Amino acid sequence: MSAALAIEGLEARLGDLRILEGVDLTVPFGEVHALMGPNGSGKSTLCHVLTGKEDYEASGSAKVGGTEILGLPVDERAKVGFFQAFQYPVEVPGVTLDDLLAELAAASSDPAGFWTRAEAASARLGMEPFLSRPINVGLSGGEKKRSEMFQLAVLSPTAAVLDEIDSGLDVDAVREVAAMVESLRSPDLGILVITHYSRILKYMEPDRVHVMVAGKIVESGGPEIADRLEAQGYELP
Amino acid sequence: MERMLESDPDWMRRRRTEAFERFAASSMPSEREELWRYVEIDFDLDEFTLAESPGTAAGSDEVAAAIGPAASIQVVDGFAVDGGSSASGCSVASLRAAAVEQGSRVAGTYERAGIHADDRFAHAHDAFGGDGAFIGIDPGALPAGPVYVDVQTSAAGLASFPAVVIDAGDGSEASVVVHLRSPQDAYTLAVPRIVAAVGADARLSVTVLQEWGYDARSVGHARLVADRDALVRFDEVGLGGRFSRLHLATDLDGRGSEAIIVGAYFGEEHQILDYRYFMRHAGPNTRSDMFLKGAVEDEATSVFTGMIRIEEEGQKTEAFQTNRNLILSKGASAQSVPNLEILANDVKCGHGSTVGPLDAEQRYYLMSRGLSRPRADRLQIRGFFEEALSRMAVAALGPYVRERLNRKFVAAQEAGRV
Repeated sequence: MSAALAIEGLEARLGDLRILEGVDLTVPFGEVHALMGPNGSGKSTLCHVLTGKEDYEASGSAKVGGTEILGLPVDERAKVGFFQAFQYPVEVPGVTLDDLLAELAAASSDPAGFWTRAEAASARLGMEPFLSRPINVGLSGGEKKRSEMFQLAVLSPTAAVLDEIDSGLDVDAVREVAAMVESLRSPDLGILVITHYSRILKYMEPDRVHVMVAGKIVESGGPEIADRLEAQGYELP
Repeated sequence: MERMLESDPDWMRRRRTEAFERFAASSMPSEREELWRYVEIDFDLDEFTLAESPGTAAGSDEVAAAIGPAASIQVVDGFAVDGGSSASGCSVASLRAAAVEQGSRVAGTYERAGIHADDRFAHAHDAFGGDGAFIGIDPGALPAGPVYVDVQTSAAGLASFPAVVIDAGDGSEASVVVHLRSPQDAYTLAVPRIVAAVGADARLSVTVLQEWGYDARSVGHARLVADRDALVRFDEVGLGGRFSRLHLATDLDGRGSEAIIVGAYFGEEHQILDYRYFMRHAGPNTRSDMFLKGAVEDEATSVFTGMIRIEEEGQKTEAFQTNRNLILSKGASAQSVPNLEILANDVKCGHGSTVGPLDAEQRYYLMSRGLSRPRADRLQIRGFFEEALSRMAVAALGPYVRERLNRKFVAAQEAGRV
């Protein structure tokens, strides 16, 4: 059976700058993995290359549930089942979350099922007060992350990459986000949590932890890696 | 071409004779004049005929149904075609009839809120116009719904000079919706005029829904004058016309008066949408906010020049203007020119002006949720205009206007222009 997310030999450059130098990483269905690394190691680039941002030139392979997504337009990747929770969710003034849901429902092959999922996710994550507000406008850091998790739940992807989902949050919000991630765990989904700090991992149980340095995965292992990085930083053993 | 009626009162005949002399002595404005910069006029008045009587009007429209007017009047080819329907405390009548029957009130409104623009079109209006709608809102009156003025040019080749004259009495509270329309492909000229004198403590909103046909030319003038503690709102939605210009002068004369001016316009293909807005703070403690958003595609052009002038007496004044423009195609252009002229020394002023493409980050984010690029862009356009539409006074028009704006954008998408 194919993995939720299978990345092989992924290279990416921004102009002349090589950022990803051959990334190999697999997240099987039902698992939550963490990707850690120092600033500038290429973590956010990996997210955007997977999402399909135009600025990057990418080669290698990235499969979502067995389907190659490299080379597809951004929206096609989402339709195949890829989702990125943004580190900095973009503000869309004048467009409410409800407007976005309505547009997604209209584009969906199963609008009724879409709305059922949306209502359930909204109730579970307490999103009602945010549905009639413009997307990400005037939201606190924690509220933006919650909105991203809500959209993840509604879109029900195959592979989700959560970029710095804990950045800019106080400890209570980190705990809350960690609980949301754990609650999303499902046999139909693989999750990759990207973080600079190990603190969010204290509130979750990642199946594996990967360490990225200078555009490559340099180490993969169990949660104990996060504890070691917390104590020693990113200096390699 | 001069048109007089025996019934017209002397003051109106005199105005018209003097205006005709000014008109005869005037020439077409040129792009070299500051007030006409950025636009080129591709027509002349003598290409059009002045209608002798009103032609056949288009039937009732969705706008009237949407707003549920308390009173209404239809103005076709410059003539009021019915006596107007009035509501309690609010008389709506043919301007020509009102000039006779309520002479001093109409003359007084002209006196307070006359148009002083010195251009060939304004003179032409004074010389050849004279009919339209007069809306008199009695002091303290609160009509139950908006007053609807359906202004139409009926056929190709016609020039019309319709006027909407509003006298909002002290302490009254009313809204007026003016719908401008003409057949889609008819080459027409309209020189509409909207003037409003807003009494002390009164609240008046005027909404102009500009839906001239695609081959129409229009050069409009508007003037709003606010007395003490009055609130005047002016919203314009610019959708139609090959060339549509609006010269708006607002005078905050009374202490504590306020103006809220909102605009949303969308220029497609070869349209030219031209806005020249002037805000004069003559009274102390006055406030104004202009907020216009526009989009242009294909080879359309938009112009917004906003002038805020604060007189020496206008202390403790707050004045803001914002104009944001989206350029949706390479060949489209938007001029946005804010100006401030401040003679008082204790004021708060601000202006913001932007011209640019759709936001790439918003598009990327929306597409990352699985929306196609056309859907993502439609959503972004909707959000862009929402900031203007949500500020407009007559909320009931919102769905209609949103649908029209969306339709224009979708047409441009489907034609592959954006």
